[in-house]
Amino acid sequence: MAQTAAVRPGRGRVLLNRLRTYLTKPQNAILLLLGLLLTVTTIAPMASILTDTVSVHIGSVDAHYTGLTGGYTLYNWVDLFTGRLAGINLWRPLANSVLLSVYSCAGAILYGGLFAYLVTRTNLRLKQYLSSIFIFPYIMPQWTLAVVWQNLFSSSAVSGTSDGLFAALFGVQMPAWWTQGMFPSSVVLALHYAPFAYILIGGIFRNMDANLEEAATILNTPRWKTFLRVTVPMVKPAILSTVLLVFSSAMGSYPVPHYLNLTTLTTKYVEMSEKRAGQASILAVIMVLFGVAILLANQRATSSRKSYTTVTGKSGQSAKVNLGRIGRVAVALALVVTTLFSGILPIVLFAVETFLPNPGDYSFLTNGLAGNVTLKWWNTSEGISENGMYGQRGILYNGTIWNAFEGTMIVALWCAALAGTVGLLVGYAVSKKRRSRWATYVNNIAFLPYLMPSLAVGVAFFIFGSSAGIFNTYLLLILAGTVKYIPFASRSSLNSMLQLSGEIEEAAVIQNISWFRRMTRIIIPIQKSSIISGYLLPFMTCLRELTLFMLLCSQTRIITTLLDYFDEMGLYAFSSGINLLLIVVILMCNALVNKLTGASLDKGIGGK
Amino acid sequence: MKKTLALFLVLALFSTLTVGYAVAQSVTDVIAQAQQMTNEELFKKAIEESNGKTLYGIGNSSRGKSAGESFVAMLQTIEPGYTGVIEWSQPKNNSIFTTLNADIKSSQHIYSMTLIQDGNQIKSKMLDTGNLLNFIPKDWLDAQGTDEALNGHPLALQTLNKVFMFNNTDGTAIKNVWEYVAEGRAPLFMGVNSELVGKNFLYMLTYETYADYLKAAFDALSADQQAYFQAVVDEVAPDAEYLGLTAANAPYALAWIKLWCTQYNEQTDDGPICNTLVTTSAAGQSGLLVYSKLRSVEESAEASVNNITIAAYQDDYTGIGGFGYKHYLQVVKTSPLPWTACAFISYMTTTKDGFAAWGKDIGGYSSNPNINKDHTRDGYDGDTLVFAAKNDRGYDWWVSAEGGELVLEDPAYCASVSFDLGDWIDMIIGTRP
Repeated sequence: MAQTAAVRPGRGRVLLNRLRTYLTKPQNAILLLLGLLLTVTTIAPMASILTDTVSVHIGSVDAHYTGLTGGYTLYNWVDLFTGRLAGINLWRPLANSVLLSVYSCAGAILYGGLFAYLVTRTNLRLKQYLSSIFIFPYIMPQWTLAVVWQNLFSSSAVSGTSDGLFAALFGVQMPAWWTQGMFPSSVVLALHYAPFAYILIGGIFRNMDANLEEAATILNTPRWKTFLRVTVPMVKPAILSTVLLVFSSAMGSYPVPHYLNLTTLTTKYVEMSEKRAGQASILAVIMVLFGVAILLANQRATSSRKSYTTVTGKSGQSAKVNLGRIGRVAVALALVVTTLFSGILPIVLFAVETFLPNPGDYSFLTNGLAGNVTLKWWNTSEGISENGMYGQRGILYNGTIWNAFEGTMIVALWCAALAGTVGLLVGYAVSKKRRSRWATYVNNIAFLPYLMPSLAVGVAFFIFGSSAGIFNTYLLLILAGTVKYIPFASRSSLNSMLQLSGEIEEAAVIQNISWFRRMTRIIIPIQKSSIISGYLLPFMTCLRELTLFMLLCSQTRIITTLLDYFDEMGLYAFSSGINLLLIVVILMCNALVNKLTGASLDKGIGGK
Repeated sequence: MKKTLALFLVLALFSTLTVGYAVAQSVTDVIAQAQQMTNEELFKKAIEESNGKTLYGIGNSSRGKSAGESFVAMLQTIEPGYTGVIEWSQPKNNSIFTTLNADIKSSQHIYSMTLIQDGNQIKSKMLDTGNLLNFIPKDWLDAQGTDEALNGHPLALQTLNKVFMFNNTDGTAIKNVWEYVAEGRAPLFMGVNSELVGKNFLYMLTYETYADYLKAAFDALSADQQAYFQAVVDEVAPDAEYLGLTAANAPYALAWIKLWCTQYNEQTDDGPICNTLVTTSAAGQSGLLVYSKLRSVEESAEASVNNITIAAYQDDYTGIGGFGYKHYLQVVKTSPLPWTACAFISYMTTTKDGFAAWGKDIGGYSSNPNINKDHTRDGYDGDTLVFAAKNDRGYDWWVSAEGGELVLEDPAYCASVSFDLGDWIDMIIGTRP
């Protein structure tokens, strides 16, 4: 009797078939591809930094004290942690960085959170105006606020310089702790990042189920107790998200502590990069580790998130806290004054600065306009050295400024396109496979660059770019910017995708509609507001980015490095003019996109 | 597969090394030939090499840009159809060495030449490693008054001075260099770790000549003042020995350095320092900054050059008047346009037009005295003295012991003391109140 042996396919063939089946689902292919790509773009630069910490650098202390001319050594680690300069080069800057981050977080959450509460949960007046103006400090390059602070509060008696506006006009001499160091650095960064807290916490307040608070009211719970026991726990995730975003950003900030004379890991990094290059890289590693630790802590905190159920009657609507007839106006006025200082005043000062004869020379206030204001910073058509022009043409004729502006636009547009698209795909794929470990990994690895201080990412890409021969090219800037800004888009995209019912796409699948058409005809149009915000945020952030790019290109390549150059040279008229230009461009883009699509900056962060 | 991959990697490595060697070799050859050529011959070579191309230069002085435009214009007088361009960049934040090293390591090289300061780092990082190559123009060497030993290795474009000055609007007068470190005084100065020529100045103070200047100024102080400073001198005397400083008056230098580093008011750049010092509200403030910054002040109700006194210009001033540092011109070993780089360097060091970007202002002195411009009457309007501070007394006066007692940077000395003394200084700065 003839026997027919069952033909078993080979093991390789089975695996191949499985892989084929796996990859037929677009979300799987996206996750696999992006997971690998993001791993390389995130991990490889970090590996470069780590290698640099043990490499010998000719002309640095490691080569001098070890006698080596190449190869590897642990000298940098040993000397940084145990050498006689350990306190100065490591521990003190580290302590300052941590304190600066903590204070900035606390300030941003208190100010932004309170503002969010007032705007969303009370009957405050002028909400629309205040809401728009509140995000101005985030739009502006962060160090511009630091320069404004200096111009306002410096004084001959205390800071040992000339008098700032307060001292000159009112004779007010602020104390030293107010003018330089930890306090002003924390305040400036808190003001800069408060919009994060406003948008994240405000989003929760706005969408919060009013039943919980109403239930407390029905149970005769005092308002303060309701706030502390009901409201605050509800916004805890948003607070944690704010901490997540602000802590690392503040730790990685270079220009603010630089201008306000605070020694942090970032300022130390720049100082040490010539003579102690390997030890500077260790500082970068430490900053990265802080970012990772914050992410892990945040995940641990949010994984044990509680849910709440009301056990009393249901409420029909969200109640607004009544501030009273006078209170709603008084609080609004107080906020108008505060935002005038943080949002409007810097812009006015930038504009005025471009008409002063010498930087910070406000002679016209006391001696009239004649002879004490000038148009030279705008309309000088030849490169002259006289009258403080340092060989520069006026802003309108200055090719260096306009070339740098063009460079910035190129980089920002490409970063937005790439980061927005990759972020969109990450959000889509992760939302489809939210229980998969690989999806969680991809989501985390995509978000990780945000938590790494900009300077550390800049260092990593500097080393990578040098090795790859793309230093000082737009390509390197675009790569670094894309990797750094993907988190904006991926968070925005993920949150919006999670709100989308799977049935919508399934219906299209049943009708054999291709994935591309499903995305472009169904999913993207439905969530266009959040998705466009995912493109808008990288674009705007990139326009005013300095810390990330400052090591990657020459100073005239893009507008922010050029702005920094003018600031350091004391050519504040030029830097102020550029600032104005940046702010106008960002506001115009925001308004244009808002008009066309309904998306805007304050809808982007967290996809709210 | 593995073998193929290994072979590929070996070939890639070999080709990288050989290409790198070939580039360096050809630049060296070009320099060797260029050193035998006159300006006329060099300029022709530059036109041949860079017509329609862009030469990227990098430097510590923004005026390289103006010099570049002047150079291109000059080449166009020889060859009207010349369309080459000089692109100039001036990185800040202490990053010029980092930028240059990155460019040299990369596979696509950008920078052809550099105008660079900080003799200490140039020696240890660039010359000792061969990353920068020295080129001495024939016309410079043949010119009368040039000093190859002093300014040829590496080739210096110019010496710049940073000088002590103070705001005089409240009648303040600082008559001795030690008064800058007297109790309660906080002169404005760029951070020594953000502009390292400032640190080199401090290193140089421990050199015998300058330590002697400080001791002489110390001796001219009143007994009370001497008593105050002597305590610090005694305190740091053991450090001088520990640091291996051989100058007899090194403890005086260390004492001055210690007080300076403890007290100076750190600023981001000399531009803001100048803007501050010239205003009436900065009465009594002092600073150590680039002399030429005074050119940029526009007279107004609040700001005037006449609010400033150059310390060393006072007849009864005792001690160091400031420090001098050099701008060196070097060809990058991976220069894409070495002929043009050499021609540009020669243009800047041998012609008045080439040096005009710096020479037209006070405070910059060419290594070729023939192309320097006289600025001794820059403060005059006709026969009327308007701004005394702008009358530059010239290089020879500034460096003389009877004049400005300028402290001049010596790369070799700086390199020999920079590690231990540098840490000593960092320790003081790191523990400032």
